[in-house]
Amino acid sequence: MLRKEQNDLLTQTGPATPGGAFFRSYWLPALLAEELPEQECPPVRVKLLSERLLAWRDSQGRLSLMDEFCAHRGVSLWFGRNEENGLRCPYHGWKYDHTGQCIDVPSEPEESGYCKRVKLKSYPLVEKGGILWTYMGPPETQPPLPDYEFIGVKPESRFVAKRLQECNWLQALEGGIDSSHVSWLHRGELNTDPLFKGARGNQYNLGDARPVFEVVESPGGLYIGARRNAENNQYYWRITPWVMPCFTMIAPRGNHPVHGHFWVPIDDENCWAWSFDYHPLRALTETEVQAMQDGKGIYVKFVPGSYRPLANKDNDYLIDRAAQKAGRYYSGVEGIAMQDASLQESMGPIVDRTKENLVSTDNGIIMARHRMLKAIKSLQDKGVVPPGVDPAHHRVRSAAVVLPQDQPFKEGAREALTVREGVAPASV
Amino acid sequence: MLSESARATRASESRFRIDAPNARPRAIKVIALDVPSEGVLRRLAEGAWENATFLRTPAGAAPAQPVGGWLAGLAGETMNLIEEIASADTIVTLSTAGENSEMAGVVAEACRAQGKLLTALILDADGGSEANLLKTLVPLRPYAAMLVVAHGEDYVETMLTALRA
Repeated sequence: MLRKEQNDLLTQTGPATPGGAFFRSYWLPALLAEELPEQECPPVRVKLLSERLLAWRDSQGRLSLMDEFCAHRGVSLWFGRNEENGLRCPYHGWKYDHTGQCIDVPSEPEESGYCKRVKLKSYPLVEKGGILWTYMGPPETQPPLPDYEFIGVKPESRFVAKRLQECNWLQALEGGIDSSHVSWLHRGELNTDPLFKGARGNQYNLGDARPVFEVVESPGGLYIGARRNAENNQYYWRITPWVMPCFTMIAPRGNHPVHGHFWVPIDDENCWAWSFDYHPLRALTETEVQAMQDGKGIYVKFVPGSYRPLANKDNDYLIDRAAQKAGRYYSGVEGIAMQDASLQESMGPIVDRTKENLVSTDNGIIMARHRMLKAIKSLQDKGVVPPGVDPAHHRVRSAAVVLPQDQPFKEGAREALTVREGVAPASV
Repeated sequence: MLSESARATRASESRFRIDAPNARPRAIKVIALDVPSEGVLRRLAEGAWENATFLRTPAGAAPAQPVGGWLAGLAGETMNLIEEIASADTIVTLSTAGENSEMAGVVAEACRAQGKLLTALILDADGGSEANLLKTLVPLRPYAAMLVVAHGEDYVETMLTALRA
């Protein structure tokens, strides 16, 4: 349970909100690089943290993320003409460069210098790892660029996608750190999904349906360990790192690629669910990439020409009651991603957490909220940089390991939970 | 026409959610396993809790199996371990890294007999050594369905509030 004011702090991320300032401490995924493929390509509307923005790439290929609306009469610059290192409003011809600086007001004499007085708010936009990242906070506190492992691998070793999720970001994040739902909601997929099946670890999962959980704080957030019995008096651990504010990784299975998510607020009632898969030591196979493109694993099929899932609230998520009854999909919804998203969206745009009844196995969620509320307050009151801003906090891995029973997973898997160049993820 | 899901998930539909209690209060028993943890519970007990009872294990060696009078309230009064566990919905033990947590075995055995899950919370102040943590964590692990290592004692209050204590 959260009090209403606590729920508001965590779920409201617009400008001038404490939660908004918290999110504006970080580099966040804004667009896929494929959305701005070349110089002078069409601009793209972007809404992030409840701000309407426009992304575009000028004649030199420079990236821009700026206020969507022309300073003159408020026209959307999405209709703008991308020409000669600037974006020109088609209404009266005002033109802006990639920093948002107005460089031409045709109705004013050039020598008046009027255009120099006009500048749209803009944010840095940087390509890294197939993603265009932005930082929307004060320029004087801009941190170094993100350094997650998947960003640094070769392009052929990585797959990145995003999908629209129509609920508050926190509902999505809390699904990502709620390990106890996997044995229920996704039980049908372990032995059938091409990106999961075949791993020895799956047998531990299926052989012990009552995992035991441990939650440990890390410099950037948390490690959440789920423990099951293994042979020879050992434990099989699946360890999920969460890095503030919204990065999670799923423990690997066998030699399958490792996957994870970012949950980025669009506004307070929608978020982008970013998904990535990578393998630090090898290229993804054609079969793996095809499976990801086909919506397997943590991916979805899309409404053509959009990032909205094909199964969505407008078609009742294509729920299949016969498949539910037969046990193929426990909720009747196909695919891991939409199984999560459909239930999280069903909670409403912003769930009322004053009404929930958490239990002990929800301690991962309780601890994550606790740490975020403390970080928001420390930032608000004392200007303390929150955990997860430091790129050193990004150098984490998820892990699946078998350890002696008397070993804390944070100790026994210390190396496995850290990025190690040239070393495969710890997986079973 | 809107689908059922599209209609039901609109913000405007939230006001039709039934505004009535959806669960009965749960009895939460928090048991300090060492002296520093007892101090934490004493501070916490000064707050207004509706459903939390704060207890401690007695000094001396742990009995071989759960016994009736083996538990104490913070004021020192003897409490019946078996009755306390039987009347609890959630049982939490509180330990401090570096302290002896062997008493957890007795509490856990009483929980097992009553079919109750045990949550173990360890307070490990920032900078605490791994050896200290290990000393406390290893005896707890076989018994805890949920084991949490927290850096600050404020987490105890957060967790109890979240569980509606």
